[in-house]
This record gives sequence, structure tokens and C-alpha cells, in this order.
Amino acid sequence: MLAKLTKVSTAVAMGATMLAGAISAPAMAADKATLTLVSEMKPSWVRNFNPFLATSRLATTNQFIYEPLLVVNEIKGGEVVYRLANKHYFSDDLKTVYFELKKDVKWSDGEAFTADDVVYSLGVAAKGGAADVAGISAKIAGVKKVDDYKVAVELKDVNTGIVAEIVRAPIVAEHVFSKVADLTTFTNENPVGTGPFTQVDTFTPQVYVQCRNPNYYENDKLAVDCIRMPQLANNDQLLAAAIKGDLDWTSAFIPDIDRVLVSQNKHYHYWFPAAGSASFMVNFKTPNANNAKAFNDVQFRRAFSMALDRQAIVDIAGYGYWSVNEYPDALGDQFAAWANKDSIAKYGKYSKFNIEGAKKLLKDAGYKDVDGDGFVENPDGTKVEFKILAPNGWSDFINTVQIGVEGLQEVGINASVSTPEFAILTEKVQNADYDAQFTNYFAGPDPFKYYNTAFHSEQMDKARFGGHHNVDKELDALIDSFNKTGDQDEKVAIVHKIQERIGSNQTTMAAMSTNYNYQYNTKRFTGWFNDKNPQARPVVWPDTPERLLHVLNLKPVK
Amino acid sequence: MGFILRRLVFYFGAFLVAVVINFILPRAMPGDPITAMLAGGAMLDAQQVANLRETFGFIDAPVYEQFWIYFKSIFSWELGVSTYFYPTPVTEILGMAFGWTLFLTGTATLLAFAFGASLGIVAAWYRGGKFDSIASPLSLVLQATPQLVFGIVILFTFGVNMDLIPISYAYTAGATPEFTWVFIKDVLHHAIAPIFCIFIVQLGGFLVPMRNNMINLLGEDYITMGKAKGLSNIRVMLNYGARNAILPSVTALSMALGFVVGGAMVVEVIFNYPGLGTVLYNAIINRDYQVIQGQLLIMTIFMLSFNFLADVLYVFLDPRLRKGGK
Repeated sequence: MLAKLTKVSTAVAMGATMLAGAISAPAMAADKATLTLVSEMKPSWVRNFNPFLATSRLATTNQFIYEPLLVVNEIKGGEVVYRLANKHYFSDDLKTVYFELKKDVKWSDGEAFTADDVVYSLGVAAKGGAADVAGISAKIAGVKKVDDYKVAVELKDVNTGIVAEIVRAPIVAEHVFSKVADLTTFTNENPVGTGPFTQVDTFTPQVYVQCRNPNYYENDKLAVDCIRMPQLANNDQLLAAAIKGDLDWTSAFIPDIDRVLVSQNKHYHYWFPAAGSASFMVNFKTPNANNAKAFNDVQFRRAFSMALDRQAIVDIAGYGYWSVNEYPDALGDQFAAWANKDSIAKYGKYSKFNIEGAKKLLKDAGYKDVDGDGFVENPDGTKVEFKILAPNGWSDFINTVQIGVEGLQEVGINASVSTPEFAILTEKVQNADYDAQFTNYFAGPDPFKYYNTAFHSEQMDKARFGGHHNVDKELDALIDSFNKTGDQDEKVAIVHKIQERIGSNQTTMAAMSTNYNYQYNTKRFTGWFNDKNPQARPVVWPDTPERLLHVLNLKPVK
Repeated sequence: MGFILRRLVFYFGAFLVAVVINFILPRAMPGDPITAMLAGGAMLDAQQVANLRETFGFIDAPVYEQFWIYFKSIFSWELGVSTYFYPTPVTEILGMAFGWTLFLTGTATLLAFAFGASLGIVAAWYRGGKFDSIASPLSLVLQATPQLVFGIVILFTFGVNMDLIPISYAYTAGATPEFTWVFIKDVLHHAIAPIFCIFIVQLGGFLVPMRNNMINLLGEDYITMGKAKGLSNIRVMLNYGARNAILPSVTALSMALGFVVGGAMVVEVIFNYPGLGTVLYNAIINRDYQVIQGQLLIMTIFMLSFNFLADVLYVFLDPRLRKGGK
């Protein structure tokens, strides 16, 4: 979500001191602490709290209604915070995960929460198909009840990274869902959950409110009584509402936030912790035979990388929200603890902005301007000319590519920007029918997700991340081995080997690490996560389970 | 009667052609509902994406099968299920928005017709005068100005800066729809700016043709005769001139009403108004085929029905057609 940007007109910023009646709060009972948040932007609210409908359920369904077994705290290196479970461990052969459950948890209708609920819920996931929203059925052999408060999940293969995936599967009440004929058409309008906000108080297409679960097992810690979700269709409307002071917790992209929002409303603050990496890449399998010659030459890719003015990208395209990424494998500072210092020493110079160095690399490798158009040709005299793709409307990405192109042209590489619609871009990149692109990656508790999506050959035709299409079976094997061990030192050693392999090959050209967008309003609540209180990822979007820890940390201002 | 029957057959044929186009258009767009979700930043791995595709299973059916399902659905009025608001039926989504659009665009169109035709009559009567030389070209300029421009200017001037009008929704969030003056006032307050934006752009479309028709008629002998008989200007203008000149404008009106359910997409999106235009915009962005098809179907039906209505109306208004050319 951090990458999807709608250009926010500065006019809104300057003018939107007030937003007439449109989304002002209806009179709330004064004694209820109501938190207003924006966890998704849609043209209308439709009542649907079924967590098995991954894309159409309301964004406040998971965590706020259905608590997970545990939360994996990504910015604390994957530290586990137990929720419905209070312990988990692997069997000695690493092929079974056990979850021990809390005994004092009740569903919001008063029924006890037991292993039967977990067995039912994970059973739905294990069965596969549409209701397997966590996408884990292929990895799970079965789910068994050990006793009333202990569940065993049997794995098909050793996979020490599986826990973070299993806990993405919603844990629902068996006594409700087992009576539903078709899980994929059920809209669950009156949910029965284990989470803090299960009682739907108001529901209209324009605003809905969820209030405290009377049977919540941590009601003593929960200081927020209700959460309120106004319907906002886009970033412009969100910004206008934020300036007016209507919103408490948002995760939108707001350009030039100090001037546009913070200076307009003194209660607003923000924190932008580092998120995933973002890189340029060329397509090793490009249909353009002449470009392919250059793209498959490591010296060309190194020169490409050295032509990128990373600081300008961060400052201009990223409004200073991002951080420079000069890792040879684009690992990024968020995973600094995993870095291979040897590889950085050897290849780091190719990831530093250096126009003269890039020119020299090209010259030494035989690239020179034969036809006098100011751009270099291949050593055999054929033309190198390509477009770098960035998705239409993603203004920060487009600006990034623009800055990249300026550097490339300066060193004599004939590159330009092209901005097809996202769907077209994805299709071209997956099918290796393009020349070059710029993409971000999703982070995770450890570097596995990044390496797997960006470099594993099995992923290349499934998303835009592996668009370089450079198949390296040895790298595949290294990535596969990461989750075959539970030993941290061994994992670090594997990551070091991966970095050496990618760095020596300059498979991609690192540009920067993006940031998590997060804004908060201190007028009504305190206890917000920020750089002084960096407890977890602070984002309110539904793919951030840590938001549950966040909401439990908030206290109303007296 | 033969005339109406022939028209009916023609419209049915046109309907079938439109239905086929409605089916092809959304599918000709690149991408599908799932890619659209990924474009929105959804973090899904390959397995999750595959599972989602299974949820919306119909998408992967062969094209001819999809067409058959679609074709049957037109006559049973089971327009399928939205993928974006899965599993909400398309009819429900369109139903929620239908009333708002009918109110918004319908009101604007009727107002534009009433004002446009009246001003056209006046402009023609005093042709070449001050009013005519300002109103007629001005209305053309307004007609040529995109609604986007009016929408944005009005939104920022009166909505954001002056805080006179709401910039979102059809009524205040959290209010309960009910038949009270307070609620009606709230709805009108929310509708006034979007109605004005649609109205002002449509005005010229009625004013100029009315004026031109009228000017042609005013040269006729019976007008001179009327004046010579000493009839009042008003009577000659309205009963002799306007009454005859309004025929083509009635057709234009019924066509415009046919367009009403298309909604004013731009205006509705700018003012975050929950009408069919917003629904269609959102459906296109999210590749929500079923909703796009449903909306196009409604537009087709309305367009053809109002065209047909205009034909029928003509038969009654114009005696020459009644004889069927005999």
C-alpha cells in the first residue's frame, strides 16, 4: 500500500482548513473513547465481516474482530507477541508446530474459546481453495487437536518460517462458521469474535463504528471504547479530513507532509520507519536482442547501478521519507543485522553514485558511441536503447525512474521512462516482454520474503518482483535452504552466501528502502508508536497485524 | 402503428448489438480484478492470488461460456456478483446508486431543459440584441467547458475555501435517511453543487438549438400574420413560435434523459457522490466486470427506451408521421 500513490493536489493542502459537515463525527456519547481511523479507502462501505473473503471483507475484520494466535513483530526482527496462543514450538524433526492456547479467552457471545475453534479455522485453511486466504494449504499436511488448549499443525516439509504464515489464517468461532453452508458467500454481518471491537454499533455506507467486545480477555488493558471508520475514497479526501482534525490514525502517502499537514494542524505527527527495498532491474530475457547483449553483461549492469543518484531519489522523489540503499543485493538497512560485510566491501562501490566510474566501466567493457548520437552502443556496434517501466499514477516511482534516467543518459546509456497501467506492466514483466523496470519489494520479519519473491526462479512469472528473469538454480537452492533450519547462525550464513551470489552478479540495481506511511493525531489519544516509542510497525492497513498491539497501547487524553 | 412496430424491431436489434458490445468492452481492458487489487498494494503471495482467482471462478471460464451466462442473466435480471464488493449482488450495488443518480442528473437535466429552452426563446425573439449576443455564445462556451473544470473550481472555491457546501457524500455521514424536512434539506445541500455543475454544462445544449429553430420559424408568414392581427408579443412568441420550435428540443430532452443513468461520472467522483457514475468509475478501476456490464446494460436500456419514447412522442406531435408516409 505504501507504493500506491494518488497525487494530492497542493490546493487541497492550502485550502482545506475545513471540510463542511461531510465527515464530521455524529454526536458520540461523551464517555466513550472513540478512535477514528482509515484502514482502507473505498467508494462505499458494504457490511461484510467474513475474514475468509480476503479482498471484500472490511479492513477492520482481522485483528480487531478476529485476533490472531500470535503477532510477529517485523521491526523487532520477528519477535513473537502471543495473543490467542501463549506458547508455540516445533517438534524435534521440525515437521510439526504446536500451539498452546490461552485458557481465559471467550468469544464475544460468551462461549469459551478452545482448541476446537483453532482446529476448525486452520482446517479451513488446510483444505485449500478460496477460503485459504493465508495461502498455506500446500504447506500443511493436517491440523490436530492435542487437548482442549493445544493444537498440532503438521507440515508437509520442514519450514521454519511457516509460523508467520500460519498466523495469517483467521481464527473464527467454530460454533458460528461450521453452520455456514458456503464460506465464500457469507457476509457475517454480526460477527462473533475474540478481538477488542466486535460489536457493530452503527453501519451506513458512509461511516461505521465497532465497539468494545464485552467479553474481551484484555478488557483491562483496552482503553479505546470504539473505532470509527469514515468512508473516504481517495488520498485527497483523507488529507482534507485530516487537516480538519477528524482523523486519529492514518497510513496514507502525503507529499511534503510538514507543510501540507503538520503545519495546518499541530496535533498531527508522523513516523516513517524503513520498509522494503526498491530496485531497478533489467530483463535478462528481453525480446530485444541488442539490449539483451548489454543486459546480460555484468559490467553494463554495474555501470547502470553507478549511474543512479540515490540521494536525489530519496530527497526529491521520496520527499526525504525514504533511505538510500547501497547494498549490492538491495537488502536495505532494515536488515542490517544480516549484512555480509565482505560482499559489501567487494561490490559496494558499484552501488554508489559515481558518474565518472560508470563511464569508465562502460568504456573498459567496450561500450562506445559509434554513431555520434551521444549514447553508447554495444561493443559489436548494435544499439542499446530501452524504456524503464513504472506504474501509471505512482508518482514517486515515476519520479524515481526519471532521476535514474537522467543519470543513465549522463553516462551515455539511452534509457527513457514509460508508465503503463499497473495491470499492463505486471503482465509484461511476468512474461519477460519488456526491457527494464523499477519495483519495490515487501519486507518481512527476516530477509526470506524479499529474496524469495525477488530472486527465486519459481516466483518470476508470478509477480513483478522477479522481473529480471535471471534463473540461478544455485541461488534457488540457497533460498530454499533458509527455512529448512531453525538455527539462527546457520540462517545468517545462508543469507551471506545469497548476498555474495546476488552482489557479484549485480542482478538488480538497488535504489532505496521505502518507508511505512503513518500519521497520528495526539488531540484525543496518546501512546502512539513513534521514533521514541518504536514498539512495532505503526501502520493501520489490514496487512499489519501489529496494529492490534498499537491499539492496545492507546489511551484517551483526559 | 406500423411505424411504431418497425421502430420496436429496430430497437430490439440495437439492444442485442449493444449487449454484445457491453460484454466485449470490459474484457478488452488489460488486467483483471485480482491484478487491480495488487495494483492497490495488496500484499498477496502467489498461492493467495491463485485462491482468490478460485473465489471469482467465473473469470477463468471460457469466453463463450461467460457470454452465455451473461446473456441469460440479462433476461432473468440476475446480473451476477460484484468482485470488488464480493459477494454483494450487482443489482444491489446498482440499486443503491440508482436513486441518487436519477435525482442528481435527472434534476439537472430537467432544469437545463427548462432554463435552456426558455432562454433560447427569449434569445431568438430579441435576436441580435444584447441578451442574445451574450447568452448564446456564453452558453456555447459553458457547454464546451469540461465538467471537470467546473467541478474542481466549485469544490475548492465553495467547498474547501469558503466552506459553504459539503465536499462529500449525498447526506451527512451518520444521518438516517427519513422523510423529514431536516433530512431533505441535508440532501439538497449536498446535491446543489453537483447539480449546478451538470446543469451549467447542459444548458447550452438546449438553449442554442431552441434559439435557432425559433429564429427559422419567426420568419414564417403566420408569425407576421399573428403580429399584424395585433396579438400580444408574448402570445406570438409562445403560442405561435415556441410551440412549433420546441419539437426538436423535446427529442433532445428525451435523449438527454436517456443519458441520465449514465450518471455524471466526473461530477460524482469529484464530489464523492454515491451515484451510478461513481459506481462505474470504481468498477472500471477495479475491473469489476459484472458491475460494468450491469451498469452498461442499464444505460443501454434507458437510452433505447427514451429514444423509443421520442419516436412515439413524435408520432403524436407530428401528424405527418402518423400517416406513415402514405
